Amino acid sequence: MTPMDRRRFFKITAITGTTAALASCGNPENQIVRFIPDEELTPGVAVWKPSVCPLCAAGCGVTARVMDGDAEVFRSGQPGVTRMGLVRKLEGDPEHPLSKGRLCVRGQAAVQVTYHPDRLVAPQRRSGDRGSGQFTEITWDEALSVLVERLDATAAAPAQLAVLSRPRRGRRHELVAEFLRRFGAPAPVSFEIFDDAVLRRANDLSFGRHQLPTFDLARTSYLLNFGADLLGTWNSPLAHSVAYGAMRQGRGGSRPKFVQVEPRMSQTGASADEWLAVRPGTEGALALGLAHVVMKAGLRPADGGGRAGAQIEGWSGGLPAFTPEAVEKETGVSAERIERLAREFASYGPAVAVIGGAPLAQTNGLAQALAVNALNALVGSVGVEGGVSFMPQGPVPAAPARTLREALAAAPPQVLLLDDANPVFAAPAAWKVRDWLRQVPFIASFGSFIDETSALADLILPDHSFLESWVESAPESGAATAVATVAGPAMRPLYDTRSMPDVLLDAGRRLKTPLAPALPWQTFEEMLQAPAAEPAPVAAAPARSTAAAAPTAWRAPELDGSAGEYPFQFMPYPSQALFDGSLAHLPWLQELPDPLTTAMWSSWVELNVRTAETLGIADGDVVEVASAHGSLRAPVVISPGIGPDAAAMPVGQGHETFTRYASGRGANPLAILAPVAEPSTGQLAWAATRVKITRISGADGSLILFAGATRERPDHTRGRG
Amino acid sequence: MAHRWGMVVDLDKCTGCEACVTACHAENNIPTAGATEAGRGRAMHWLRVERYWEGDFPDVKVKFKPVMCQHCDNAPCEAVCPTYASHQTDEGLNAQVYNRCIGTRYCANACSYNVRFFNFFNPQWEKPLQLQLNPDVSVREVGVMEKCTFCVQRIKSGKSAAKADGRELKDGDIQPACVQSCPAGAIIFGDLNDHESRAARLTHSPRGTKLLEDEGTEPKVTYLQRQSWNEPDTQ
Amino acid sequence: MPAWLVLTVLALSAASCVDAPFSERQQAERVLQRSRWGTSSVYTPARTGLADAARTHFGLRADPVQPFAYSHRVHLAQEMACVDCHQGVESGPRAGLPGMNTCMTCHAAIATEKPLVQTMAKMQAEGRDFAWARVYDYAREAHVRFEHAPHIRAKVECSTCHGDMRQQDVATRVVDMDMAFCVNCHTQKQASNDCLTCHY
Repeated sequence: MTPMDRRRFFKITAITGTTAALASCGNPENQIVRFIPDEELTPGVAVWKPSVCPLCAAGCGVTARVMDGDAEVFRSGQPGVTRMGLVRKLEGDPEHPLSKGRLCVRGQAAVQVTYHPDRLVAPQRRSGDRGSGQFTEITWDEALSVLVERLDATAAAPAQLAVLSRPRRGRRHELVAEFLRRFGAPAPVSFEIFDDAVLRRANDLSFGRHQLPTFDLARTSYLLNFGADLLGTWNSPLAHSVAYGAMRQGRGGSRPKFVQVEPRMSQTGASADEWLAVRPGTEGALALGLAHVVMKAGLRPADGGGRAGAQIEGWSGGLPAFTPEAVEKETGVSAERIERLAREFASYGPAVAVIGGAPLAQTNGLAQALAVNALNALVGSVGVEGGVSFMPQGPVPAAPARTLREALAAAPPQVLLLDDANPVFAAPAAWKVRDWLRQVPFIASFGSFIDETSALADLILPDHSFLESWVESAPESGAATAVATVAGPAMRPLYDTRSMPDVLLDAGRRLKTPLAPALPWQTFEEMLQAPAAEPAPVAAAPARSTAAAAPTAWRAPELDGSAGEYPFQFMPYPSQALFDGSLAHLPWLQELPDPLTTAMWSSWVELNVRTAETLGIADGDVVEVASAHGSLRAPVVISPGIGPDAAAMPVGQGHETFTRYASGRGANPLAILAPVAEPSTGQLAWAATRVKITRISGADGSLILFAGATRERPDHTRGRG
Repeated sequence: MAHRWGMVVDLDKCTGCEACVTACHAENNIPTAGATEAGRGRAMHWLRVERYWEGDFPDVKVKFKPVMCQHCDNAPCEAVCPTYASHQTDEGLNAQVYNRCIGTRYCANACSYNVRFFNFFNPQWEKPLQLQLNPDVSVREVGVMEKCTFCVQRIKSGKSAAKADGRELKDGDIQPACVQSCPAGAIIFGDLNDHESRAARLTHSPRGTKLLEDEGTEPKVTYLQRQSWNEPDTQ
Repeated sequence: MPAWLVLTVLALSAASCVDAPFSERQQAERVLQRSRWGTSSVYTPARTGLADAARTHFGLRADPVQPFAYSHRVHLAQEMACVDCHQGVESGPRAGLPGMNTCMTCHAAIATEKPLVQTMAKMQAEGRDFAWARVYDYAREAHVRFEHAPHIRAKVECSTCHGDMRQQDVATRVVDMDMAFCVNCHTQKQASNDCLTCHY
């Protein structure tokens, strides 16, 4: 049979089942061939196999519950059924230092990546116009020869080869970087909208660690958090949550205090003992105000700030400009409260301050992070029990990844390989990523799904799912000791897919001009079994440290758009379910009620009660949100947890092309963001856009809430809780 | 002595992250309704996280409360079921027997906690999503009511494993999927008749309350209230 | 759906008659498929249609069609034990139906002159397996979660539920596994008879 459309075959077998059976030999199952299983299985008995969750950078170890079952497979081009070990459920690995046997909401849904009905089951070649999403299935031999031919054609100008992936650590990324280096191409380009480049840079300046911090929440007595969704989506949320449980009720003595400072109530903020609304982008000023009080009251001397303090202009003089009164004006937090919080923070140690997420996605993000770092240093929270520390790290790659912005500023390469990144969706429309990609003559994707970016590819070489491959993680934070996790496949591949590192190694061997020197491994498995570099001890000199820089002066955030025309500060935030939108294809996560609104399958805009009243907007009404760079429409959820001059919106929906569950659903707030960057890192300042809000119509049913929805309702009230 | 299964939810630890919700779906073959049906109020979540706003901006607070079947000792759903599909077992579980259920939906209307869900359709898992299904749990068909079982399949297999090994069941041997997954360890499950079990001890915590206690349902789920911060007297 | 595709499938099905592959999951799925078509606004609680309800009520069930006439009698006469082929019976919920590899453990050397064994050797070389039809099984709507291992541990003989297989060639349903059958035994052995013991 032709490299036939497998998906359609799978679809029709069930339908033809009964009719065909009548014509054949009495047993309705006769038409499907059964293959001998490849593995020994005890029927109905679960075995647990280790794996690593790939959905975010946290790198949590999981265990997969594997039980036998019948799966439809292809063997030498023939469709049939075989009994195989199938992953039924994912749980945290009890032995793993990050997950400690627990698993977050997204990690548990990861099993649906493997069994997704729209997963690509074999290599594809573009058959329609670019971006049309039309592909034809081809064999791996064809696919590899197309890829190698393109790579060979680039060998004369090797700098014309680029790889675009997500910022992750580990040996898979080392392999990609090594391939490029030996090919003569520049370092890989990496892009993730919610990447914490600004915080890494700040930590480098403050502490000489170009790395995300680890917090000892389990033993802290006072947690002061500036905007980080640390129990939901930020940094190592699962490890944070496990430690949070211990912090709350896991130990005797007095109960620690948790203060959250943010302009919009997040899921993390909901757990705080004290919640402070602050003007967006002024969190750092508040931190400096607290430091001012601590120093002025003589609770700690200024030189306690050490190197981190020295990064702040005016620190040694006790930050005279940051009196509680001045800070009240800037942040909206009362002077009295600033005094009180400062005294609490300095008195009830071990105390730790955290900053992450939106406060760093401002034009003054670096100054904000440096302020919080200095506050930690001032109260002696760095490298101590209950404070902030840095996980021991292996050597950081010599050639750090390039940012997408840098790549976009240069001419498009001749050949682009896409691995797991979807910037067409996740970068602001103003970056014109799609136009740039259209100028690339050849794009190959290793993706398992057709999304907005891989729809532009000429060739798709679908990777195994993580459960079918060798997986590993080398997280940069989340535990006090170094963690590196490697696991073999938890199940056999369902389809005609190949592991991306193996494809790269294979392609490397087939090149006319071989890689110099050739990569020493035949397979990724072999690479993983070769010894990795030992993690450096904590005290060792940091691998990439910036020389002492001039102190940074505090500055107010700059927002895109005039306050007159665009009165609302727009606050996109990573969705608890869909994260940055890369998980919008998983039905469990689509139907997960949002913790604060109970919305499912929807986009929404959160507006303050009074704001909505003034604009004549009722719950569920559809509004237009317009920035100077674009507009979108979405229903409103009226919320008491957001200030009157702000509008918040979860990221994740608004996919044009991303499987049956996500395509054409909701709106994408990232698309209308201003192309404003934090200057020191070039990282997108995704919280620095102003918008205006216009009511368009009454409720249109697009807002689906779970709250109050546990009883059947007639259609005319649907979507209203 | 017979077991008497119960649960404790420590609201001071709960972060509202909903890991329990997905764990429940994965374990119990709960169908995904899809946007259209969810919009009609037909989404099924045996376990949901309720949130309550208190106060106005900026002095606002949120409280989360995971709500599942409370396995009431005096369950309103049992009294109204005409077919004994909903009944109390010897171990204190509020059982829902699918093949007895004729779908009157009286139980869902009687339930004080809105935790019973009706199958308006035969569930669909678009191929090959069905490969994920847990073979230890039934797939319910159109016309029957379903709800949290305290992961009865895990209770069964825990007991069965202990018996096979010839040992007594220990506290913690049995963990429903939500308990197992909870990152903060906010949900505790155990035998209330075993006075040494964590769940039994926490049930008597001064922070303990029952949901809608005054309805007289006598739930077997205890909620430990959130605490507030008290300034330590260290000065 | 294009006609050529249907034809391909039909051709495939005709070609594979001999092997009669079979799977429980597919059967379950077929029920699901059918019921999906049968889903109407008419309320039908536990059965997917009138015909289904009638069949269940009268206990009508088609006899299983096996790939070939395997004789339990002959094999058990060779002093084989049930567990030799139904290997999951002591360790898990399901006893399991043996695959080609299990058969060929012995038949690689025994009775190799028989045409059937030669066919099996050929199939094994091609990587193809049998698809036995289930003899006993519960309707999906019965929601029975039966586990073999605890019954074996409780010293229930295989023959109690499956009849004396030494007397049977092709396995047939000789025991009517209705609920009364289970409940009687549970009562005698003082095992729990709560609905939730088996139905969940």
